[in-house]
Amino acid sequence: MNEETLTPAGGAGPPELGDEDIYEAMKEIPGYLDITPGSFREVYRLAYRLARKRLFAEQTAARLMTREVIAVRPETPVEEVAEAMGRAGISGVPVVDGENRVAGVISERDFLSRMGAREGNFMSLVALCLRTRGCVAVPIKEKRAGDLMSSPAVTVAPDTPLRDILHLLETRRINRVPVTDGQGRLMGIITRGDLLRTLGGALWAG
Amino acid sequence: MGRVRDYVRKMAGTSISPPGVDPGEMLFSGLGGFLGIGLLALLESHLVAGTDLVLLIGSFGASAVLVYGVVKSPLAQPRNVVGGHLISSLVGVTAVKLLGAGTWLTPALAVGVSLILMHATRTLHPPGGATALIAVLGGPKIQQLGYLFVLVPVGAGVLVLVLVGLLFNNLLPRRRYPEFWW
Repeated sequence: MNEETLTPAGGAGPPELGDEDIYEAMKEIPGYLDITPGSFREVYRLAYRLARKRLFAEQTAARLMTREVIAVRPETPVEEVAEAMGRAGISGVPVVDGENRVAGVISERDFLSRMGAREGNFMSLVALCLRTRGCVAVPIKEKRAGDLMSSPAVTVAPDTPLRDILHLLETRRINRVPVTDGQGRLMGIITRGDLLRTLGGALWAG
Repeated sequence: MGRVRDYVRKMAGTSISPPGVDPGEMLFSGLGGFLGIGLLALLESHLVAGTDLVLLIGSFGASAVLVYGVVKSPLAQPRNVVGGHLISSLVGVTAVKLLGAGTWLTPALAVGVSLILMHATRTLHPPGGATALIAVLGGPKIQQLGYLFVLVPVGAGVLVLVLVGLLFNNLLPRRRYPEFWW
């Protein structure tokens, strides 16, 4: 993936300064400054981009993750998993074992594809329902989280930089990634929504 | 023909001149220049009069503009003032020794090489170019100094200019000097 699309610094420029703004600012500094407003603006633009890039790259999984994670156990029946996800309004949960180690992730897509939706998304399930008579939860009844989950889970370490997390979400086409410690124990989770907030914040902060 | 148009357009300029300074700044700049060059002139008339030495050369006037008039400029910092003059004077004297003062090539090389070396050592100081020229064009009195030119007037002179810069500029609440030493 190209860096320009990853980095807000790539797209969003700094607030535009006019020569007049710089000229007025230079007037407030006593003494002759032997730089033109134009040169200053060039320096400012580049410095702004570099600072953005640095601040962006310094974000790590540990700082971005949500710590309160709704997780299920492998033996949790799928209807309970679905209920929990529905209640919380989330589209996926990590599956952890008795020692809080992440065994997998179970998401809407896992449900949908196991229910016969070819592309694993909701509309393909709708299409399936419309083509067949009656609807189709039958194949996953009686199953447990461990049967449906995607495993092994894609996880990141707490010090994984934002850049890598974005890359991972994009290339693995996932919407969330659990953050685990050295022993694979669940510390938190990062969702696309979390990242949207962070990146949005970065965009407006400047 | 976009390339020609771009080329010509560059000559139109793209930015604006930086702001001028207030009258106080003008006065302090003038006073600094007066003191720096005045001290050198005094020293010359008392210390080296009657000897073969000189202490005041034209390029110091240009240094005075920077040290007392553009105090914050990287070009006016001690590293640049001292380094730029010393390097350029070395280059100038060497050029004369190698090629003689009589050819057009000598002043051209003296200034060109000085520029390269000042850049390479991060000691760019425009008056250095003048110092290199003085080594070539300064006449018999300068030329008979040989490499002594690097020490007196150049080395001694820049020390005085920087010293006055430190003492004078820092007396004023609105000024500080230098921005950096090294």
